[in-house]
Amino acid sequence: MAARVSEWLDERLGWRKVWEAIFLRKVPKTNWYYTLGSAALFLAVNQIVTGILLTIYYVPTPDHAYDSVQFITGQVPAGWLIRGLHHWGASAMVILVGLHMLRVIVHGSYKYPREVTWFTGVFLLLAVIGFGFTGYLLPWDQKAFWATIVGTRIAAVTPLIGDWILRVMRGGDELSAVTLARFFGVHVWVLPAALLSLILVHLYLVIRIGISALPKRGE
Amino acid sequence: MNEQERRQYLEEYHQAKEKGPSFYPEVVVKDAIVALLVFLALVALAYILGAPLEERANPADTSYTPRPEWYFLFLFQLLKYFPGRLEVIGVFVIPTLMIALLLFLPFIDRSAKRHALSRPIITGGTALVVVAVGLLSVQAVRETPPPADTTLGDPTATLYVSNCAGCHGPSISVPPSTNLHAVIAQGKHEGMPAWSADLTSDEIDALAGFIVSPDGSRLFTENCGECHQASELVASDPLELRAALQKGADYAPHAGLPIPQWTEALSAEERTALLNFLVAPDGQRLFAVNCAACHGRSVSFSGDESTLRQIIQQGGLHLEMPPWRERLTSDELDTLANYVVDPSSAPEGQELFSRFCTECHGDRVPVVADPAQARQVIASGGGHETMPVWGDILTPEQLDALVSYTLEASRGAPLELGQDLFAQNCSTCHGDFGEGGPNPSRTDDIIAPISSAEFLKTRDDATLRAIVSQGQPNFGMSPFGTAHGGPLSDEEIDALVAFIRSWEEKPPVEFPPEIASRPLSIEGPDIYAEVCAQCHGDRGQGLIGPSLSGPGFQSANTDDEIFNTINVGHAATAMIGWGEILSADQIHQLVSYIRQLGGGQTGPGPGEVSFKDDVLPILEAKCGVCHGSLGGWDAASYQSVMESGDNGPVVIAGDGGGSLLGQKLLGTQTIGGLMPPGGELPPSEVQTILDWIAAGAPDN
Repeated sequence: MAARVSEWLDERLGWRKVWEAIFLRKVPKTNWYYTLGSAALFLAVNQIVTGILLTIYYVPTPDHAYDSVQFITGQVPAGWLIRGLHHWGASAMVILVGLHMLRVIVHGSYKYPREVTWFTGVFLLLAVIGFGFTGYLLPWDQKAFWATIVGTRIAAVTPLIGDWILRVMRGGDELSAVTLARFFGVHVWVLPAALLSLILVHLYLVIRIGISALPKRGE
Repeated sequence: MNEQERRQYLEEYHQAKEKGPSFYPEVVVKDAIVALLVFLALVALAYILGAPLEERANPADTSYTPRPEWYFLFLFQLLKYFPGRLEVIGVFVIPTLMIALLLFLPFIDRSAKRHALSRPIITGGTALVVVAVGLLSVQAVRETPPPADTTLGDPTATLYVSNCAGCHGPSISVPPSTNLHAVIAQGKHEGMPAWSADLTSDEIDALAGFIVSPDGSRLFTENCGECHQASELVASDPLELRAALQKGADYAPHAGLPIPQWTEALSAEERTALLNFLVAPDGQRLFAVNCAACHGRSVSFSGDESTLRQIIQQGGLHLEMPPWRERLTSDELDTLANYVVDPSSAPEGQELFSRFCTECHGDRVPVVADPAQARQVIASGGGHETMPVWGDILTPEQLDALVSYTLEASRGAPLELGQDLFAQNCSTCHGDFGEGGPNPSRTDDIIAPISSAEFLKTRDDATLRAIVSQGQPNFGMSPFGTAHGGPLSDEEIDALVAFIRSWEEKPPVEFPPEIASRPLSIEGPDIYAEVCAQCHGDRGQGLIGPSLSGPGFQSANTDDEIFNTINVGHAATAMIGWGEILSADQIHQLVSYIRQLGGGQTGPGPGEVSFKDDVLPILEAKCGVCHGSLGGWDAASYQSVMESGDNGPVVIAGDGGGSLLGQKLLGTQTIGGLMPPGGELPPSEVQTILDWIAAGAPDN
């Protein structure tokens, strides 16, 4: 029965070819460090799922942001877990992305023919940092507010366009409801779109070119 | 990397791939194991540490030390090494350079070598950056310690931050005798909401304590917070609080608990701060907690502040009790003595106590152990009640507040001021006695009495203040508070409200409740004396109610009209419908008695109308508000009535219907509206004025 269903589906979807291309390919012998990238991917999925769940209750306005976060943490069933996973997942994401990058540097995996994979990787790192910065403000607690004040002020030091950057980030001269709205917008729309596109390209290249082999001594 | 090296690499890679495992399942299993471990670690972190949330963002709290998330700490720290104009290096140059280096790494390191040890520059540089980032992060943590976690700490501070700090900043300084509880609960000044809707009374007390003594709040959290919540101790008995602080572990309720000697653990200043927090120096509350048991709502005191301070500070004997054996029987003395020792043993003593003792003792029964001793004290009287030595118990701030409150309360609100303000601002619409009347700003509308017990009982002072201050736009009452564009300051409104409130104890219009249950005389004069005289005067000359004996009333009303008025009352005034209480016969008797009072007139007809006694009072009360100070016709005196006015003269002697004044009152004048603008005067008053004009408008 299962065989017939999969046959029926394959005829229409061609999933076996996709399966073979992605999963049944040969890879060079690896070590445990090669799992860092996939762990980061897993965390991205974790952040997306928990993030979507958080938006069900979260309200991105100064009046309600803090209360809604408190509500999520205290009242919503398993809300503490969802928020805890998202919060710690963010830190873990930074760590794993960093370690993954170090692994790539140590193994020289950014070299031919994987340069473009590396570029997308660097942009992914920047996206993750952007997630961290924008997500930090959303709970609208003291730490969030003041760290964002300082963070945006730091950005304003940029030569020539510093003031402009500051106003674009804050949506005005002061940190306000507008700032919260736009940080929220960037955090849940702009950056996820960028992240997903970059991940798609990154993965496509990883599968197409294959993961790098462990370099031999003297190579 | 040249063409050959590339081909060689691809070749070797292809071989490595062929020798290696399949992605699925070998590598996938490894990935899944790591992902699972990562997930479990996250769940453990979420479970053990939770997701931190500090206090609500408070833009006013500039004392907060901001700290970025840990992965930005190194950048944060880096900036510190580039002060002033160099900041741009730390902020822009270095990070941009790092990102550029990272991005272009494949073009920088172009050799074919891949092993880490074969690329010492790249490997070393990377290690250097990693170590630098690590060191900077560690240094940042060491230099900026994490802010004190106030969410777990001080709930009162949190309350303050979330409710007050937004407008008031990190602290509020208030003069010692401010009644903070009332200010917070009712939202005294402009723009401040009444918090009583959002906060409990205990929370407001705690806030008041916090505002006066933030240190006390912190000390409370540190020393008492483990067992007590601020809200359960605020506004408790300062005697007990002080005892608990002084006795430490010996304090009875604290017996057996691991409690330090507070006198050693805390300095004298700290103990004062703690007491100030728990019993905020709020005179009214201090009085209620400490003094009201014996002194009731306030004490009468006529001395000056320093005398009062001395009395409160020193306590001691200060009451003189009369020797009750002169006024009570021996049995009564026994009963009372037993009641004082054990109230349940002599329930009949309660009545004696409330009759003779509560005036001074309040509801508090003095504590005596021995009936014989109690009897002795009661019988012989003398100074017997000792007031606590408050100087030892209260902090200086609390004493200040108590003294100034007691002084203020003993003087009482200046009722005369309130009365004047009422006469100037309110009586035009609400009547001299709050009895109400036709609504001048809405025709066919009646302003209900505001002096009735029903009205006063159902509205507290805050509500009255709000009504006066904000007005009642829906009912045509304009706002009177300066905050809303009116003429009265907060203090004046307070005085006004105090005056209105005084009606509760001394009703200006009293309807004796016993009347209904008591059979009334059938004789007109007796009924009149019983039910009419207190408003209309014993000779019908008019007091609160209008004169019944004057020609204005007598001539304007037929006997039937008088009968009807007595029978159904005046909806707009305090005059009730007596028909339910008096029989028709009794009302007829009343009508004829009222006719006697008027000198035996029997119906309408021109009588002697006095300008001074009958007409001028009406003009002053109903017209003078506008016709006087505002220009135009002036209703203030005979001369001005006759001569002034833009279209004067307004009175044509002998011709009421032809006089502008008459036309305005009757509404027959086609230019402009009826006067007064709020609605017709009562027919009797119009008739009085018309009669006076008809009689030749004499100056009598």
